[in-house]
Amino acid sequence: MTSENPINQTNQNYQLEFFGKGSEYFSIMIVNWLLTLVTLGIYYPWARAKKLQYIYGQTALNEERFHFSGTGKEMFRGFIKIFIFYIAVISIFLLLMKMVSTLAGILFFYLAILSIIPFAIHGAFRYRLSRTTYRGIRFGYRGDRHLFVGYFFRWLLFTVLTFGIYGAWMAMNIRRYTHSNIRYGDVAFSNDGDGGEFLVLNLKGYILSLLTLGIYIFWWQRDLFNYYINRMRMIKGEQKIQCYSTATGRAFFNLMVGNLLLVIFTLGLGTAWAEMRTLRFIWNNIKMEGNINLEEVYQTEDEYNDAFGEDLLDFFEIDIA
Amino acid sequence: MNNTTQAAKYFNGLIAASQAASVIINEFMGELHIRTSNGSVAIWLLQDLESNDYGPIMEIRNKKYPAAVLKIEDKRFAQQFYNTMKQYKRADIHTRLLRLGFSKITAIAIGLFLLIAIAYIYILPTIAEKAATLLPDSFDNKIGELFMDSFVGDRKIDSTKTSYLQAFAAELDLKNKKPLHFTVVKSKQVNAFALPNGQIVVYSAIIDKMKNAEELAALLGHEASHVNQRHSTKMLCRNLAGYMIISLLFNDVNGIMAVMAENFHQLHTLSYSRKFEQEADELGLKILMDNHINPNGMIRLFEELEKENEFQLPEILSTHPLTKERKIHMQQIISKSPYHTNTPIRLNDLFEKIKKLNSPHDKNASLQISTTNYKSIYNMSIKTKILIRATFHLNFSYLSNKIPWTRI
Repeated sequence: MTSENPINQTNQNYQLEFFGKGSEYFSIMIVNWLLTLVTLGIYYPWARAKKLQYIYGQTALNEERFHFSGTGKEMFRGFIKIFIFYIAVISIFLLLMKMVSTLAGILFFYLAILSIIPFAIHGAFRYRLSRTTYRGIRFGYRGDRHLFVGYFFRWLLFTVLTFGIYGAWMAMNIRRYTHSNIRYGDVAFSNDGDGGEFLVLNLKGYILSLLTLGIYIFWWQRDLFNYYINRMRMIKGEQKIQCYSTATGRAFFNLMVGNLLLVIFTLGLGTAWAEMRTLRFIWNNIKMEGNINLEEVYQTEDEYNDAFGEDLLDFFEIDIA
Repeated sequence: MNNTTQAAKYFNGLIAASQAASVIINEFMGELHIRTSNGSVAIWLLQDLESNDYGPIMEIRNKKYPAAVLKIEDKRFAQQFYNTMKQYKRADIHTRLLRLGFSKITAIAIGLFLLIAIAYIYILPTIAEKAATLLPDSFDNKIGELFMDSFVGDRKIDSTKTSYLQAFAAELDLKNKKPLHFTVVKSKQVNAFALPNGQIVVYSAIIDKMKNAEELAALLGHEASHVNQRHSTKMLCRNLAGYMIISLLFNDVNGIMAVMAENFHQLHTLSYSRKFEQEADELGLKILMDNHINPNGMIRLFEELEKENEFQLPEILSTHPLTKERKIHMQQIISKSPYHTNTPIRLNDLFEKIKKLNSPHDKNASLQISTTNYKSIYNMSIKTKILIRATFHLNFSYLSNKIPWTRI
């Protein structure tokens, strides 16, 4: 490297890989099952931590592995909080039903569940990313909870008023806000997904799937995946990385049909293998191009510890992928 | 072995670039010494350390400095480190179990699974029945009220026949511990059922089929025995306990296994239900004999049912034993037990009256509970359904479908 070129502008090589094996993951699931069973379910958060630790540890970029440092104890604490929240909601729900009316109770119940969603998304991003490290550098989430909750309800209102059409914009707005607030050390993530494009993509997918009696679903999935990935980039000062997807409809067909057969013919025991196949597929199909030197990333993110959101996501089974 | 220097790669948690390092375990001091290529030294206490194995590579992290990582590629060192950590009790139960290897883990899992399966089949019914006896009688009443509306639906009540049926039942000693209420509803279905609160509902079509008072007495004896034995409550306890075991076993594993287990649970429940039916048949027969009524009434009742149901599900899929089997079983008992018959004349009179009557529709009659009561029960059931769903994630219809006393 010469002194005329102080900033490294030459393109770097990036290779994402996933090493997870079905048999290893299956062993983890079995041990999780055993321990969850003998502890009458209390082990569940620890089991979840073990699964996440395995998955993160088997994901590598340029032969260095990611690491999830979240613990069962943290998630257990989160779980207790949810439990208390849940008990509170149920109590108020019952009280309203007794004192006011059944309708008021039900309305409250659904509103309570709905209003927790933005908090859950925020919390999960914050917790999950703060517990993710790569090459000794932490990821982090800089989103503002107050701001995000406000946005969320505004977008939700628009979606209701437009009979759901704004939903495409809402989905992309959430993605843009959350992803653009991800940090890896001094590298910032960004996402420029657009609601209009997303709507067209989904309309096209929906209509073609109908016309082809569902066969287009795999290509629809490909379009969605490609859209999510192609809109991602990372920025560090003048340097950047652009993500792009190499997934094809045919590959999606193989993945999804293969997984279905794998799960059905093993009576579900093949789930571990199917999950590993999916992750391998995802990581093998994300390519990165750019000039950020991964060795020159500095630690910037603080530690954070609250697993409330992490558990909520699991509890209500919301997907943030 | 101890105190040999091991080459490693060290990420200091400040910058992403790694440094070459050498590592020494000092077991005596309980420390891990890291010397980086630029000469700086870090001392980590073994009690703070955690490790992950990735094939030949081991990553060691310090809880006190969670970002920093030490990467070592040496199987022998990894084993030594693991053994040392075991002494410091830093290897958790999960890691230790995982170290047993795939086949041993699977063997333990299968063993435990079988143990639970055995408990489910042989121990659960006994425990559930014990639990049912602990529940107060008021529980039976609540459950009965809850299911009343869904079972009766909008069938019309024949109030004249109902009052005669009540008079008929009053002539019999049904060995009941709680008051029984008898109702006749208009229906073309040949059926009758008992609810745990003592409501016994007889459909008009089954009475039309009957030829004498003994058959009706047999029917009431059978239904009353369901109530007396608290079969519904026992069933409910068993179902709940079984459901809990299944969700505990399979919740975190996968859907298909859970569905299979649930189906097995249902089939198993059916066998339990058939056992209860048989018990109700036997006790019903005893009621007939103790009331000096010809026990062959039970046989003739089954004969009528046989004529009605030409097609029957295979026994394994049915809540009831095959009618033919029930009849044979009754015949066997009758042939072994001495009895003398002296059917009260009043029973025959009442039976004739119930048969002959062809009363007009009673438009607004309801089941012995007033309209207002009925409504509040209806409301309560909706509330209870929501409540149960919300708190236990239980499918209420799953439970109500599993209460088999909707048929004679």
